[in-house]
Amino acid sequence: MPILTLQNISKRYGAVQALAGVSFEVPAGSVFGILGPNGSGKTTLLGIVTDVLKADTGHFTLFDKTPTARERRQIGTLLETPNFYHYLSGYENLEISAAVKQRGKDDIARVLDICGLTQRQHSAFKTYSLGMKQRLAIAGVLLGDPEVLILDEPTNGLDPAGIAEVRDLVRRLAGTGKTIILASHLLDEVEKVCTHVAILRKGNLLLSGAVNEVISRNDYIEIAAADNHALQSLLLRYPGCTSAELNGGLLKVMFAAQPDAAAINNYCAQQGIWLSHLQLRKKSLETAFLEITNTPVQ
Amino acid sequence: MKQIIYTEWLKVKNYRTFWAMLLLALIIIPAGNFMVADKFTENLQQLSKLVGNPFSFPDVWLTMASINSYISALFGLLLIILVTNEYTYRTNRQNIIDGWERKHFVYAKLFWLVLLALLTLIVATISAILVGVIYGNKPVSFEGYEYMLYYFLQLIVMLTIALLIGVLVKRAGLAIVLFVAYNMMLDQLLTFLLKRYVGTVGGLLPLQSGDELLPFPLVGKMVATSDHYDTYVYILAMLCYIILGIFLVFRKILKSDL
Repeated sequence: MPILTLQNISKRYGAVQALAGVSFEVPAGSVFGILGPNGSGKTTLLGIVTDVLKADTGHFTLFDKTPTARERRQIGTLLETPNFYHYLSGYENLEISAAVKQRGKDDIARVLDICGLTQRQHSAFKTYSLGMKQRLAIAGVLLGDPEVLILDEPTNGLDPAGIAEVRDLVRRLAGTGKTIILASHLLDEVEKVCTHVAILRKGNLLLSGAVNEVISRNDYIEIAAADNHALQSLLLRYPGCTSAELNGGLLKVMFAAQPDAAAINNYCAQQGIWLSHLQLRKKSLETAFLEITNTPVQ
Repeated sequence: MKQIIYTEWLKVKNYRTFWAMLLLALIIIPAGNFMVADKFTENLQQLSKLVGNPFSFPDVWLTMASINSYISALFGLLLIILVTNEYTYRTNRQNIIDGWERKHFVYAKLFWLVLLALLTLIVATISAILVGVIYGNKPVSFEGYEYMLYYFLQLIVMLTIALLIGVLVKRAGLAIVLFVAYNMMLDQLLTFLLKRYVGTVGGLLPLQSGDELLPFPLVGKMVATSDHYDTYVYILAMLCYIILGIFLVFRKILKSDL
C-alpha cells in the first residue's frame, strides 16, 4: 500500500506556477527524498498534502484513503518552520500538539529527551535558540511515535552536531521500518539516507522513483601515470569513455557504463603505460543532481 | 468538541495577557454600572422624580444593558488577539497539520465567542441586580430582562465582527485598529448618514440594530420614536449579521491557503 499518492497536483500563485501536474507515489517503508533547489515547490507540495494549502487541480490519497484529519494524526509533520505558541514553554506546547493529535501526554518526556530538550522543557519557547526551536519541532514530529514522518528541511538552523544527530535519527527511524518523506535542498542529507527520490524544479517533477533506478550514478575512475597527457589521449580512445579531465595530478575519467578497473588497467599496460594510481569512485548525488536539474525542461 | 475545548484551554491556561484582559473586561462592567448609578443618584435626583428611578427594577435592566453596550469592546479585542495569535505564531497551520480539520479551528474560535458572550451576560446580570438592589427602590424582578438579552445579541454581533476581522486581516495590529474604528465610529457614522439621506433603514446596521433596542432610558422616554421598526426587525437583522459573519469565517478558513 502506498503511503502517499499524488495525482496531477497543480498550484499557482498569481503568475508563479508553483506546481505543474506533479504525480508520484511514496511506497511504505521508504525514505523518500523530495529534492529541488529553493523555490522549486517542495514546501508547497507538502503543504497541500497536510491540507494547509489547497491544490488548484489534482488530488492525492494518504494510506490509500481520501485524506482527512484522521490520516494526518497518524503522520508526524514538520513543515517549513517550527510553529509554536511563543508564550508557552516547550512542554506546554507539546501538550497542545498531543491534544490535537488525540494522544496522551505520556510520550512527551521521551521525545524531549530524544531531542535534548529535557533541561529546557519548562522555559518559554520565545527564549529558545533557533536550533532549539527546530529540535522542539522535531520532538513534535516524533510525538506518539507515528509510522509516517514528513520532514521539511529538518536540519534548518541546526549546528553541525545537530545536523549529524538529525541525520542519525532519520536513519534510525528508517531502520525501524517507518516511512519518511524528507524535503531538502541539502543533497548530502538526502544522499546518506534516502531510498527513493522525487526531483522538482520550478514546480515540474523531473523524475521520481528508487534512487538507484532514477539517478544514473555510474562510477568513475581516478587514474594517474608518469605521463598523464599520454594517458588522457589513450583513455579517450577507450571504448565507452565519455570524458577524461586532468584534475591536479589525477585524471578523472567518466564512462557511459559501469567501468571495469581491471580491464582498464590491462588496456593501459598493453599500450605501454603503467598506472601509478587507479581508484574507482562513486559519482556524488550532487553531481548527478546538477546534471539533472541543469537540463532544460522540455 | 471536548477535545477542542481542552486544547483551547491549554493555549490560554498560562497566557497572562489573556487573563489580564479578561479580568479587565469583566471588571469594567460592574465598575461602569456602579459609577453611572452613583453619579446619577447623586446629581440628578430632581430629574429622577420626574421620570422615575432608572436603577429600580424593572428599568435597571434597560439602563444597565444600555450602559454596557458602550463598554464591551474589550471582549472584541480579546477575541481578536486569540485569533490573530494563531496567525502570528502560524499555529493555525500546525493545528491542521497535527490533526484538526479546518472546521475545528473555526469551532475553537466560536467556542471563545460563545464563552465570552455568556460570561459577559452573567457578569452583567449580577452587576445589574446589585445596582438595582443598592440604588433602586423596588424588589428584584426579571420583568424587562429582555433588554439584557438584546445586549447579549449585540455582543455576539460585535464578537462576530471581531472574529471576521481577525480571520480576514490576520495581523493583530491592523485588525485591532479596524475593529476599534468600526466599533467606535464607522458604524455610527454610517448610521447617521443613512438615517439622514435614506431613512429608518440606517438603524439596521450591525451594531446600531442593538443600539436601537437599547435607548438610553431617560432619552428614550422623552424622544418620540416614530422612525423605528418593530423590535423583531432589529433582532432579525442581528441574527442575519451573525449568520452571515460566521458563514464568511467558515468560507475563508475552509477554502483559502493557511
